[in-house]
Amino acid sequence: MTDPSSIERHSFDVLVVGAGGAGLRAAIAAHDAGAKVGLVCKSLLGKAHTVMAEGGIAAAMGNVWSDDNWQVHFRDTMRGGKMLNHWRMAQLHAQEAPDRVRELEEWGALFDRTPDGLISQRDFGGHRFARLAHVGDRTGLELIRTLQQRAVALGISVFMECTVTQLLKEGDRLSGAFGYWRESGRFVVFEAPSVVLATGGIGKSYKVTSNSWEYTGDGHALALDAGADLVNMEFVQFHPTGMVWPPSVNGILVTESVRGDGGVLRNNEGRRFMFDYIPEFFKAETADSEDEADRWYDDKANNRRPPELLPRDEVARAINAEVKAGRGSPHGGVFLDIASRRSPEYIQRRLPSMYHQFKELADVDITAGPMEVGPTCHYVMGGVAVDPDTGESGVTGLYAAGEVAGGMHGSNRLGGNSLSDLLVFGRRAGLNAAYAAARVRSAPAIADDDVRNAATAALAPFDGTGDENPYTVQHDLQDVMHKLVGIIRNADEMRDALDKLVELRERTTRMTVEGHRQYNPGWHLALDLPNMLQVSECIARAALERTESRGGHTRDDFPGTDDTWGSVNLLCHLDDDAVAVRRQPLPSMPDELRRLFDET
Amino acid sequence: MATATVEQAPAAADAVPSFQVTMRLRRFNPEQDTEARWEDHTLTMYGTDRVLDALHKIKWEIDGSLTFRRSCAHGICGSDAMRINGRNRLACKTLLKDLPLDKPVTVEPIKGLAVLKDFVVDMEPFFEAYRSIMPFLVTSGNDPSRERRQSPEDRARYDDTTKCIMCAACTSSCPVYWTDGQYFGPQAIVGAHRFIFDSRDEGAEQRLEILNDRDGVWRCRTTFNCTDACPRGIEVTKAIQEVKRALLFRRG
Repeated sequence: MTDPSSIERHSFDVLVVGAGGAGLRAAIAAHDAGAKVGLVCKSLLGKAHTVMAEGGIAAAMGNVWSDDNWQVHFRDTMRGGKMLNHWRMAQLHAQEAPDRVRELEEWGALFDRTPDGLISQRDFGGHRFARLAHVGDRTGLELIRTLQQRAVALGISVFMECTVTQLLKEGDRLSGAFGYWRESGRFVVFEAPSVVLATGGIGKSYKVTSNSWEYTGDGHALALDAGADLVNMEFVQFHPTGMVWPPSVNGILVTESVRGDGGVLRNNEGRRFMFDYIPEFFKAETADSEDEADRWYDDKANNRRPPELLPRDEVARAINAEVKAGRGSPHGGVFLDIASRRSPEYIQRRLPSMYHQFKELADVDITAGPMEVGPTCHYVMGGVAVDPDTGESGVTGLYAAGEVAGGMHGSNRLGGNSLSDLLVFGRRAGLNAAYAAARVRSAPAIADDDVRNAATAALAPFDGTGDENPYTVQHDLQDVMHKLVGIIRNADEMRDALDKLVELRERTTRMTVEGHRQYNPGWHLALDLPNMLQVSECIARAALERTESRGGHTRDDFPGTDDTWGSVNLLCHLDDDAVAVRRQPLPSMPDELRRLFDET
Repeated sequence: MATATVEQAPAAADAVPSFQVTMRLRRFNPEQDTEARWEDHTLTMYGTDRVLDALHKIKWEIDGSLTFRRSCAHGICGSDAMRINGRNRLACKTLLKDLPLDKPVTVEPIKGLAVLKDFVVDMEPFFEAYRSIMPFLVTSGNDPSRERRQSPEDRARYDDTTKCIMCAACTSSCPVYWTDGQYFGPQAIVGAHRFIFDSRDEGAEQRLEILNDRDGVWRCRTTFNCTDACPRGIEVTKAIQEVKRALLFRRG
């Protein structure tokens, strides 16, 4: 069973782990660069988390708003991330996003159009101009379908429902990956000099989340184990508007497009409370009256943005504060109202998925009354530290793109910047992984012992003798992270969380998995749990270290933003199997980019 | 406690009616069963719970080996199509209270595809049909550096069939597909429709030729099962009829 010679083997130039937007785009790019590509994914093809993205792809197309360009997008992105973003990633992202959108269109993607037939642009938080290319509120579905179709057209090899549990190395460089088929439980070894991680995020470590089951931080943990650094792990985005009712759908996303298309937030007194929460940093560009805010939708040149469209971290904190002050909705959220502001026809045309989601799951007609919403764990800004241009990590041959990569979004991501990130950096990682593979003279070797050890580790949960149920351990982990390392944090609670993580880790050694290897969800979870625990520890340790509040990291014991922290990134790495945190100065931005921030 | 978001148990939660429901599951574990068997679990559930919530409760609290696909849990990814009370639906979008609760709620895998375990079926034949109709835009001559225009009317022409989430609820509800696995099935035709009626596409001729095959569009008997089953409300039968008409028009 663990004999390396009996295990299925495949050999590729580039192995891509994850088939969401970033993974598919990387596979296409590597294929186009002449590499033999394998694409591995935990789910069926086309079901990855990207499919759930609703609002759109941020790209300064300049087609509808001629004053929009990459410099404005770059500036918005950096300010949204409270200047902690890697400037070079933010620059490449803003420059290349429009080409990636046009290329998707070229491959057949459907977009909503202007009356002139141009790609329509939608308003979103933190973006100075309407710049999200979109399809109703199902942009992610169309994006992933288009890339999937492209992969089919190119004949790329796809390994569906296959999970990678370990990266393999020869010396200091990557040589491949070890995994198992979910259906049969049989093992598989991939030989590849270049591996691109595109595994998405970590949200399943939190109790209230918009993320799907796949988001167990696999890529983060694989990279850490392989010797790479994770950057910015303390920054976790709580999307301000998740469903809060009924309990069965608590956390499911309510797209920011509701606000982009005119919706506003109100407390139980009916007040548009966001006007009370405009931070100094954004005062100059935010409307201070309802009249001005309402005029902005049609006349952006002479009015400032409504405060409902401040970056997500600001809005999430404001909602949290309103609820705490007792001004929340009956089920512990606030009200999101578009019914009183837009016609039913407009709402149904622009937000059809939201209309059905609330109608069917909450019995609420959003064209007639308000929705109840509250913060939900949505995105991790932190991820594998990579070279901005190539996507390569500190480990030779290991690349990362999309949510699993860090740096691009700094301390907070703007809405719409994720789909564009996937495309820009998925392509870059795929291309560079292919180039690097072509330069490798002889394929790096995979040691039989490494394969044997990986197989033994994967089977360990079957040998458990304790009485722990993996589902219970996962639920308890979600509770700990939600309560103690959630949207508002302090040192005592995070120390408590770190102690509890040790206990949870100990409990995983006493898990018992029933049944056998064939499609056994309990076993699969038992293998995912160590990843979740590893990543949770990184978040807690980095968050404890950063003694300030910034973006997706808010501490009530250090409520202010501290300039000395504004030039420091935190990196997590493994030191003797233990998570260690170290500080690193931010890369310095060239003067021509710095000047963009002098203008308003 | 610092985090005061959505998780305080709201008082109103108590107001949601609870009820007893018996979930009658069609189980099959290839490692110990020679054929599928029914298994009952009686649970206390709430008026806002879905079939997916009941399945999760069983898996998390009673039998960790219960196996089914699910992902986004709100009808976008198309992972959890199942046969619920004899009808294809998504478990995440079927509220228990909308089913007759005085008798057991039956849950079975979708039909026409081999069962691997419990509600997990082999999707490969489904994907093979999808791949066979060239599900990608065929186009030439557009300068990629410039934006190609498409009028809102042209874009609206095929909007309905782009909503497909590939859950297989339509294909596995089709009586023709049950008896003849060679038939492409409704989803593949929906997939073809999405390109045939896209004003940018130049591959309609080839696609129509593929669907003109003996296992193609002419096998459809217009029973409307697919349209009834589609959780996205796509007018599947209408799309198939439009493809048939395009073929007839082409012949003439």
